[in-house]
Amino acid sequence: MSFIITCPICGPRNAYEFGFGGEDKGPRPDEEALSPGDWCDYVHMNQCVAGVAREWWIHRSGCGVWFTTSRDTTRNLEVQVETMEKGPNPPLEKE
Amino acid sequence: MNRINPLETFRIRPSQKVSIRYGRKSYQGVAGDTIATLLYANGVRIFSRSLKYHRPRGLYSLDGECSNTMMQVNDMPNVRVENTPARDGMEVVAQNVAGKTADIDPMAFMDNLSFAMPAGFYYRTLHKPAKIWPLAIKNIRKAAGLGVMNPDFRMPGHFDEIYPTTDVCVIGGGPAGMTAALSAAEHGLRVILLENRPWLGGVFDYRPTAYEGDIPLYRRAWELAEKVETTPNIRSFTHTAVVGNYNDHLVTAFQRGDKTDPFDERYIEIRARSLVIATGCIERPLLFENNDRPGIMQVGCAHRLARTWGLLPGKRAVFSIGDDLGLEAAVDLADLGLEIACVADTRQDGQDESLTDALAQRDIPFYRGWMATEAHGGKRLKGVILGPVTGIRRQTFDCNLLVASAGQTPLTSLLSMRQVKLRYDHHTGFFLPDNPPDGIHPAGRMLGLQDSVEIEISGRLAGMAAAADCGINMDKEIETIKTRMDAFPGPVRGAKVVSAAVKGKKTFICFDEDTTLKNVDQAMAYGFDVPELIKRFTSAGTGPGQGGIPGHNLPLYVAQTQQSPDTEPRPTTVRAPLVPTLLATYAGSQHDMSKRTALHDSQEATGGKMERIGVWNRIRRFSEDVNARAEINNVRSNVGMLDASTLGKFRIHGPDALKALQRVYVSNMEKMIDGKIKYSAMCNEDGCIIDDGVVVKRGDNDYYFTTSTGRAGQTVEWIRFHTRYDGWNFNLVNLTDAYGVINLAGPNARKVLEKITAADVSNGAFPYIGYREFMIADSIPARAMRLGFVGELSYEFHVPASYMQALWDILEEAGQEFGVQNFGLEAQSTLRLEKGHLIIGSESEQRTTLHDVGLGFLWNRKPSAKTVGAVALEDTEKQKGRLKLVGIKMADAALPTPRDGSIIVDTKIRGYVCTARFSDTLNEPVGMVLVEDELSKIDTQFNIYEDDCNGRLITAKVADMPFYDPDGKRMKM
Repeated sequence: MSFIITCPICGPRNAYEFGFGGEDKGPRPDEEALSPGDWCDYVHMNQCVAGVAREWWIHRSGCGVWFTTSRDTTRNLEVQVETMEKGPNPPLEKE
Repeated sequence: MNRINPLETFRIRPSQKVSIRYGRKSYQGVAGDTIATLLYANGVRIFSRSLKYHRPRGLYSLDGECSNTMMQVNDMPNVRVENTPARDGMEVVAQNVAGKTADIDPMAFMDNLSFAMPAGFYYRTLHKPAKIWPLAIKNIRKAAGLGVMNPDFRMPGHFDEIYPTTDVCVIGGGPAGMTAALSAAEHGLRVILLENRPWLGGVFDYRPTAYEGDIPLYRRAWELAEKVETTPNIRSFTHTAVVGNYNDHLVTAFQRGDKTDPFDERYIEIRARSLVIATGCIERPLLFENNDRPGIMQVGCAHRLARTWGLLPGKRAVFSIGDDLGLEAAVDLADLGLEIACVADTRQDGQDESLTDALAQRDIPFYRGWMATEAHGGKRLKGVILGPVTGIRRQTFDCNLLVASAGQTPLTSLLSMRQVKLRYDHHTGFFLPDNPPDGIHPAGRMLGLQDSVEIEISGRLAGMAAAADCGINMDKEIETIKTRMDAFPGPVRGAKVVSAAVKGKKTFICFDEDTTLKNVDQAMAYGFDVPELIKRFTSAGTGPGQGGIPGHNLPLYVAQTQQSPDTEPRPTTVRAPLVPTLLATYAGSQHDMSKRTALHDSQEATGGKMERIGVWNRIRRFSEDVNARAEINNVRSNVGMLDASTLGKFRIHGPDALKALQRVYVSNMEKMIDGKIKYSAMCNEDGCIIDDGVVVKRGDNDYYFTTSTGRAGQTVEWIRFHTRYDGWNFNLVNLTDAYGVINLAGPNARKVLEKITAADVSNGAFPYIGYREFMIADSIPARAMRLGFVGELSYEFHVPASYMQALWDILEEAGQEFGVQNFGLEAQSTLRLEKGHLIIGSESEQRTTLHDVGLGFLWNRKPSAKTVGAVALEDTEKQKGRLKLVGIKMADAALPTPRDGSIIVDTKIRGYVCTARFSDTLNEPVGMVLVEDELSKIDTQFNIYEDDCNGRLITAKVADMPFYDPDGKRMKM
């Protein structure tokens, strides 16, 4: 947790001011016709990419805002992703 | 030992005496001495015994790079005495030796057994039969190791921590580091400079060699140091060891305090925008037989002993060196009075001719391409065999000092820690950074530079590059200085000789772990082919000195001797902390921060027994009786008051406030009625209950809700997280500290309340689970809730914290005639247990769902709200085999009350007791337990096992809850 994260409100701050909120998996799925397995995947399964991941962070010791940012998991550094689409990570592919 | 006549370079004050004890004797030194130099001045030559072979070890580098000079100081083991200033009254004891000093060691015979201890022998031999292993471990631990930790040892001293932010952080306070700091500071940037030694100056500090003109280097160092210290935007930390370098330029270090500092050590964590790394070089140890004998030391050690501490390191010396610094030291030490038998240089050519001429002028024999191959003597060095590097001829010289060094090796650890690839450079013989990442600028001697002026200019360049990182346009300056650099010789050719031509049985590549060249050969014979693996197998470089001593030689030796076409040396990985650090320093200042309610002082004055619960200080009980019986009885028969201010209290308002409540609460929050409390619960995604509390509607889109004490800190984050994709418009305000809560409970509660408010609080006007807002004593705005947590008629008053003491006094006065008394958490816990009311975390655990605790009725199916945990609640509603919360009584009311035992049926654990108390009201023990669902039917009997029951199990049976007032008449009266 030595790196710097940019809070959309407070600007760049030490990472230990922040809390991790998991990968950006998109909004909660509709509950109609949702199987327990799919629900479990949404809640518990992760992509764990070796590369750039879009993630949720909270400025816990600061302003308290939840926001998404991109992090290169191989270097543990926040990266500014301009060209990449700033959407959530694609859903897990099922076998 | 007499010190030499005072020199300008001294860092001691000979007039001021210091006295320490070592073993049974007292030793005198002078102010400025380290423990090591003080003992050395008194003739101590053996400072410790080595890890495995108990070989005598002495001063080697004088910078604490190996465990040779680790001693126990004032009961603290493994103190690096070369880096620790001597202070009056210190008690010093040698380590890994039977006695108190290292001179005599009954275990010294181990040295003769080394043939029986090849690399990795414990693990390869001591497991057949398996029975030997524990025995072997016990004896090896006794015979080998570093200091001994006394389990009763309490760490003395004050520890602190600081977290400065800066523009440029310069690591290394030598000439390159100081010029880098000055050049970055010139542009108005904030600079932090870190230096390991207690003073700035680095490699210039002790050398009399001329800088430009006639100024000696040490005076140049003073000049630079003074400039640094008088530049207001440079903050320099001396006696500060850097231990880590992390992403986005986070540098960790620790500083030793001197007598005037308010700390003994402090942790420093620096965030910088740019880094200059000017850590310089250490010496690469020279490898030859018996290279660890006391009396063998590196060039810097010998030179600094004389120049900094006024101690001639020996009487008659032989030098076996590999660079010009060694020649310079020989000339200077000869002038200071050291008799030098000869100087051998591993290099055939390339020496600075003025230095070889100086040797000739002093009639010191000089051997080109020669080196030490073997040292004689045991506890003291007696002589040394020199010979050509090629190993053809040998010649013995008597001496009691051998100054031995293979050359320089750069301190690149801080680069490696940032994943900088290091490449072996065939010109310098250094591992040099290929492409330093953005914002990291190496400078000075670590790049292989030797010319004093060039070292400074490289620092200047690095400082400019750092300034450029901070957004200053430096293109022109950098261009100019680069051109200036070109006029200098650049990196010098380094000596490449790794080892004398020896078998290596007693040639130590790592002092800390007693690893010899032979051990490395054995490892390679087993097939370990890269330094990283050989390091693991032989444990070379895994001791307290980390890579300091073997870091450079191991890869070189492996590359030179292994049978592989790929002979490019590869360095081993370095990890933090780079030097041994006290855990106490990492622990820092240890401020314990806790919260107090507004009634803290007055409750304590009434005899309240305070307890730390989470972040809060709370009252457990108001008497010595651990069961708080009097408090319980008073609530049941008269009326009691409880400070419940630690409850989480929140306001949520805004157009989408209700949607947010629907998302996190399992009930249908749309069905809230004005003036009525809604009790509900929050679950996590797995349907497990995490919180319960009440919600009231105070106006359109404006709600007030409570959470349990433990959840207060996370609630805002929780709600915001679970609505993060929705973009809803609502505001959340944490009122936990702004509001206090008093619970007034007991059959006389209404009589008290009627006396202090004008509002109609009759049972009709303010019924059970009602919510009202009114003034108390015409002055205190109160939010009042009729709840029944303890099972009696009760009111919860939520008032601004500043009114709490006033309200408390008013209630106490008004309640006097009705027998009002304080009650604490213990009484509350028994009271609510009698009612079967649960506390989350006490009657639930991580895997306990809303259904398991019998609160499934709170859950309302409302799929469109996408309530957190709803899917799991659906899934687990009818699940079999879960632990269910039920009430228990004992099979016989006379049986003892269980505390926290396990529920046993047929020798299997089938559940456990959550809470149980002897109920005075019911005159029998009652409790709540989590048991497997098939045991949860009323009247099922099972046994409870407790730790100290000695096999006598208590038989309990499942009982209906609530135990007390099952119809709830008393809450509603």
